[in-house]
Amino acid sequence: MSPDIFFQTLVNGLFTGGIYALVSIGLTLIYGVMVIVNFAHGEFLMLGIYTAFWSFTLLGLDPYLSIPFAVVLIGILGAMIQRGLVQQVLDAHPLNQIILLVGISTLIVGLAQFFFSAEPKSIHVSYETEVITLLGLRMSIPRLIAFCSSLVISFGLYLFLQHTRLGKAIRAVSQSREAAKLMGINVNYIYMLTFGIGTAITAVAGVLLSPNHRMIPTMGQTYSVIAFVVVVLGTMGNFVGAFIGGLIIGVVEAYAGFFLGGDVKIIASMLIFILILLFKPSGLFGRKRT
Amino acid sequence: MTTQVSAKTSPNSLRNLLHILIGDWDRTQLSISFLLVALMAISPLFISSPYYMGIIILACLYAVIGISWNIVAGFTGQLLIAHIIFLAFGGYTTIVLLNTFRIMPWVGIPLGGVVAALAGWVIALITLRYGLKMDYFALFTIALLVALRTLFLKWDFVGGAVGMYLRLAEPSVPKMIFATKPPYLYIAISLLVFGILVQYQVYRSKMGKYLIAIREDEAAAAALGVNTSKYKTIAVMIGAALAGMSGGFYVMYVTFIDPTGVFNLGVNVEIIMAGPIIGGLGSLLGPILGALVNKPIAELVRGSLAESRSGISLIVYGLFLITSIMVMPKGLAGLCHSLYLRLYRPNKNIE
Repeated sequence: MSPDIFFQTLVNGLFTGGIYALVSIGLTLIYGVMVIVNFAHGEFLMLGIYTAFWSFTLLGLDPYLSIPFAVVLIGILGAMIQRGLVQQVLDAHPLNQIILLVGISTLIVGLAQFFFSAEPKSIHVSYETEVITLLGLRMSIPRLIAFCSSLVISFGLYLFLQHTRLGKAIRAVSQSREAAKLMGINVNYIYMLTFGIGTAITAVAGVLLSPNHRMIPTMGQTYSVIAFVVVVLGTMGNFVGAFIGGLIIGVVEAYAGFFLGGDVKIIASMLIFILILLFKPSGLFGRKRT
Repeated sequence: MTTQVSAKTSPNSLRNLLHILIGDWDRTQLSISFLLVALMAISPLFISSPYYMGIIILACLYAVIGISWNIVAGFTGQLLIAHIIFLAFGGYTTIVLLNTFRIMPWVGIPLGGVVAALAGWVIALITLRYGLKMDYFALFTIALLVALRTLFLKWDFVGGAVGMYLRLAEPSVPKMIFATKPPYLYIAISLLVFGILVQYQVYRSKMGKYLIAIREDEAAAAALGVNTSKYKTIAVMIGAALAGMSGGFYVMYVTFIDPTGVFNLGVNVEIIMAGPIIGGLGSLLGPILGALVNKPIAELVRGSLAESRSGISLIVYGLFLITSIMVMPKGLAGLCHSLYLRLYRPNKNIE
């Protein structure tokens, strides 16, 4: 592996990792606040990418301009699912929670197949194959945009969580539901809001992925599994951990793809996942749990 | 009112028989299960269409698969989501033994169960050794499913992406190839009877009580001296063995197996999770009732609607799971139980 290829693979991995980071941040946020693993998470990415497709096809909008639509539509959808369904099982046996979310995931995929058809679709824009060369590294324009947007959105969300009243309320609920309630925080509202934010940024990841990307209704599953890997790697519920974990898994996949071939690369992430689960289930940033 | 009178005046022997059959809810569930099995067993007398026979055979098989998951998830509360991997192990074992080593499925199916049970043992050993619980365990099984799919897609010995096909041959009993459906039905029914008995034994034994204690509160169960790791492992192994044997028969019946079809979370929902959840997870009757509802509806949906539009069956299953959890978490068996209490309790009060 020559240095050029080494760095080129690194860049490719980081670009993919940016998307993974965004998806995983949504998942980790939901887990951190509600202690529920959103098994339907990837489906919101799929809905995001289809939002881009339909606003491109029907309205002729550039994919990136559909981000506001995706945020609003899928954020509201997520909030509704939380309020109507997930909220009711928060205190139930974890098995019931998982079954409910698997049901939601199955339903969303089914509806997508029904309304959008199971045929693969894609969006073609004029700049999709354009490339800029920087320091000898080739970077595709859409993927560069996706990566930079992921960084900006993640950073923005981080600032929101750290410095606004609402963000602080979210963090307070994730630290202790009871204490937050005693401090006058409307916990159920925070739950709904968090689920909405988590699904909305996942949808944005879908939109960012959309140019020149093959989309099918079942694509969410892959991203769910990757997000599980990332979130466990970066400690469940840890925001920064999910971001760094996303980049790590992106890079690992890129090298695994280079050495093993594209369709086997998922083995590498699964191996990392299984090893992390077995040897350090608290993840890279986890303290010993009491 | 009439039931009260008859209970008073009936001779002792009839009373004893009634007591044995429906004396308590567990026995009643067992009796209903066997009644349903008997109905399936005599179904070839009324049904000649191979299509409907096929539905009954698969419903019967889904019931066994449901029982296998019920023991792990329903009794013990373990989040073994990707249970279908055991079905796959059993199926692959049976067909590899037949195609490559010429070992008859009558031996191959039980061996499939053994291989699946060993896989279950390894998985339980690893996850328990490292103390994986709840969500982490669920994620682990899903990761395993994805990893195994990729592995099997690349593994030429088991046919790679194409999968394994049963070689077409003349109908023969040793090879478990029949020209008509009823023989398959009776094999499926034997599996189901075996499954029902195993499930009942597990549930009524001391071990069953331990499993339920683990489900309700694992820490408390451990504090009371239940060896939780041991019983969780045994539960996984029993469930895996039953699923493996079902997988073996499934392959013989549908005549092929391929990685994308079997290491598949959507299929997992359809044939593993939906039945017991609709029927009532954790009850004895649930998996059987669930399978009898699940399979015919799935066929109906597929037959009448899916040709026009894809995705309908997923919508139906999604709604099944959601409404089961939201509206009746105890499933159909829960409904039957309240009905039973209403009909049978007055009787007891008189005695």
